[in-house]
Amino acid sequence: MRDETSIIGKSLPLIDGYEKVTGRLKYAGDIPPLQRMHYAKVLRSPYAHAKVVHIDTSAAEALPGVSAVITHKDEITGKKKTCNSPWHDFSFNFRGPMISQEVCYVGDEVAVVSAIDEDVAKEAIKLIEVEYEELPAIFDMEESIKPGAPQVHPWGPNALDPSVFEWGDIEEGFKEADHIIENRITMGNQQHAPLDRNSCMAHWEGDKVSIWTSTQALFWIRDAVTEFFELSPNKVRVHSTPTGGSFGLWWGNNFMFLAVALARKAKRPVRLILTRDEVMTTVKRREKPLIDAKIGIKKDGTMVSQSYRHLMDNGAYGNKFDPYQSVADIYTTKHGRAEFIGVATNLLPAGCMRGVGDLTLAYAMEQTIDMAAEKIGMDPVEFRLKNHWQTGDICHTSQEVLFAKLLFNKTPEVELTSSGLAECISKGAEKIGWKDKWKGWGKPSSVDGHKIRGVGMGISTHISGLAFFGFNGITLKVNPDGTMVLTTGIGRMGQGGDTTQAMVAAEVMGVELEDINVVDGDTEVVGHTMVTFGSNGMHMVSRATKAAAEHAKEQLLEFAAKELEANPEDLDIKNRRIYVKGTEDVGIELKELMSKPIYEYLAAPEVIGSASKGVEFHKAGKMMMADFAEIEIDTRTAQMKVIKFVAYHDSGTVVNPAVCENQVAGGYYQSMGLCTTENLVFDDETGAILNPNFMDYKVVGPMDMPDPEIYFGEVYDEDGPFGAKGIGEGVTCAVPIAISSAVYNALGVRIDPPMTPEKILDALKSKGR
Amino acid sequence: MNSINLKINGEDCPVDVKTHWSLAYVIREKIGLTGTKTGCEMGTCGSCTILMDGKPVFSCLRMAVDAEGHEWTTIEGIEGDDELHPLQQTFIDDHGMQCGYCTPGMIIAAKALLEENPEPTESEVRKAIAGHLCRCGTYVRIVKSIMNAAEIARS
Repeated sequence: MRDETSIIGKSLPLIDGYEKVTGRLKYAGDIPPLQRMHYAKVLRSPYAHAKVVHIDTSAAEALPGVSAVITHKDEITGKKKTCNSPWHDFSFNFRGPMISQEVCYVGDEVAVVSAIDEDVAKEAIKLIEVEYEELPAIFDMEESIKPGAPQVHPWGPNALDPSVFEWGDIEEGFKEADHIIENRITMGNQQHAPLDRNSCMAHWEGDKVSIWTSTQALFWIRDAVTEFFELSPNKVRVHSTPTGGSFGLWWGNNFMFLAVALARKAKRPVRLILTRDEVMTTVKRREKPLIDAKIGIKKDGTMVSQSYRHLMDNGAYGNKFDPYQSVADIYTTKHGRAEFIGVATNLLPAGCMRGVGDLTLAYAMEQTIDMAAEKIGMDPVEFRLKNHWQTGDICHTSQEVLFAKLLFNKTPEVELTSSGLAECISKGAEKIGWKDKWKGWGKPSSVDGHKIRGVGMGISTHISGLAFFGFNGITLKVNPDGTMVLTTGIGRMGQGGDTTQAMVAAEVMGVELEDINVVDGDTEVVGHTMVTFGSNGMHMVSRATKAAAEHAKEQLLEFAAKELEANPEDLDIKNRRIYVKGTEDVGIELKELMSKPIYEYLAAPEVIGSASKGVEFHKAGKMMMADFAEIEIDTRTAQMKVIKFVAYHDSGTVVNPAVCENQVAGGYYQSMGLCTTENLVFDDETGAILNPNFMDYKVVGPMDMPDPEIYFGEVYDEDGPFGAKGIGEGVTCAVPIAISSAVYNALGVRIDPPMTPEKILDALKSKGR
Repeated sequence: MNSINLKINGEDCPVDVKTHWSLAYVIREKIGLTGTKTGCEMGTCGSCTILMDGKPVFSCLRMAVDAEGHEWTTIEGIEGDDELHPLQQTFIDDHGMQCGYCTPGMIIAAKALLEENPEPTESEVRKAIAGHLCRCGTYVRIVKSIMNAAEIARS
């Protein structure tokens, strides 16, 4: 049921907008240095795989101004693994020791120095003598999983145990099919490339450590440091600042732990700030996929069976072994199988980036489905309308099913709460002008001299959080003048999470958004909050925010009931005033109630609402996306450009339309980058990244592409607060298939991202153009 | 060390600098004006843009030791006593930002544009920020914020 709201649904300004436009917002690197603080620099491996056989740091340590040097020889950094099991890995950085004697990719940490300033630290790094023994390195996923392949890192096999999901009878399913379509896809290496260069400042006082860093993973960092340094959580205080973009990059990363270890040894505060090169070559990238897809359909276009084998290049220390989401369910079939295998290579570690497995798997599925539709001569819009996921369908490949199995050895069913796909697909098709532009498979929409146009479309889904991300503990305190303070551990990565959580609280409390301050990012102040990833904020965290506000409201109404000599249940709040329902002129201003002494106590009331809520996983709310692209290829230059792009998305209730439109636009530009110019180039010989900067790794700029047209479906999710689902990650997922499909229809050749002019030229040649 | 005096936002800022320090580094680390961001330190992202005698420059590509004798303006220097600069206000009102990291550089570049060209077309606005990246992909609303600020400034 749709609620009547006064705050939810409005494009209210970001609550930290003032700080951002005045330059006052402090990202981690902007925090003023602490007294006696030293600066850290890292010595990194020039080899993709080598053993440090000898390291001499004596000259560096003797340099005036140097306070500490750490290497693999130190007990804390070199001996102990940073995590003990791949799935229970808080840092998502399954890397054995913090500094390994066996370095596993170019850029791996060999030593870290702290010194009085950055110049001295850099000088000290040059004075460290290292002798390496090179080891065989492996850069290719398929090579890596062959028997007898060199081992990528010393503590485990190259391939993690696969996670497998099966439903129905897959073989039977393919027997029932009239057509079976098989396909293999891959993509380039995308990097998050946020503008901000992150930093971590750590300071030990006795056995207590404080950490300041930009992150979306406040409590994970606390828990990882707690576990690794064998401390009680009350000895670890993490202050997270907003990130200057993150997109999955700034979780718990090794550089943060290095700063913590170094500060302890240096006995003074230490700050490690990454260079642009380090941001792009030593933290993380999106997992490169290699996917084999197989789909069985009936002659009439009904899907009966689907199977996927999804290899993910984890690089040296990534640990992805699961789908993370449940995109394989977006077409409901009786029979299915999905297998996910994380594979190690001696390359930059890989991990989650916006859209994660849904982006890669959606691309593979959707391309294979296009091939299936082509086989029977069916329009892709019609095919999808016939087969797409619907409200109440089962989520076979949900990560929750996997975790229930791992933790409790159970295989529960998870049910989809809502699906706006029918609306998104059909209305999106109208907006792009599909009926006029679609001319059949592999056929251009128009040819004008050397310019060929094509249209394409694709759909995807994405989680709105997952239950096992944890409980959310939120408080809302009411000040004497009726203003309020919301405490939350939600990450601030530009998605406006603080603003939209405050909107939920303001809606419940009947006050204006400007009345609410948000305090975030301090593990000793805020309650445990899910790490802000997987688009959980609005669908999951705000359940607790809403409940905390309702708790505060309940207290307010009880105080007001005494004052007004009424029953609390007969009262409500709006426009900062508590009133008697039905006789609205009887009431009291919030400010008056909160500042007026009560006779029994001779004091004014104090109101603190709180809630701690987990999320039951049996029902899952997922966002749905249908994207449509019209592209143009210039046959003289082999350049591809987008002419028109329509994003028609279902995120349930749109809590703040401006915030949500910015999210959709951002996802489009980032996936556009993945499709065109964004690709980390690894040197074939050394495994080093050759383009670790914005000059050579080209992010989409203000002149590059047309803006997308953005629409939201009219969907109300019964499980989401005020009907809302997630938005942040899913916005990237259907873009690559829409573009790639449009390119196919223009050229008659399928090209995987990045769709470079070189590949387009080859395609043009193959078609004799 | 070289003793210099930088004139930033109308104030004298005496500071000792090494010859290899960039102006962006000195403004942030020695003078403490951290509104100027340094995303790449090689002139490719635009986040360190400040005004040199009213013209936008990448402060990461300027040497501090060579920065005397100019009027420098950073994001901290553009608001009035009681109110925000129209650009700052429209960036808030029109959601011309997400994470906010590129925002100071964008606003500074837009300020220089509007002073030279109070009635820019959308394409002129895009050209003025062509050297600026917004990894959150907020270009639609950044352009809208600048166009609306121009209109407010004119009226």
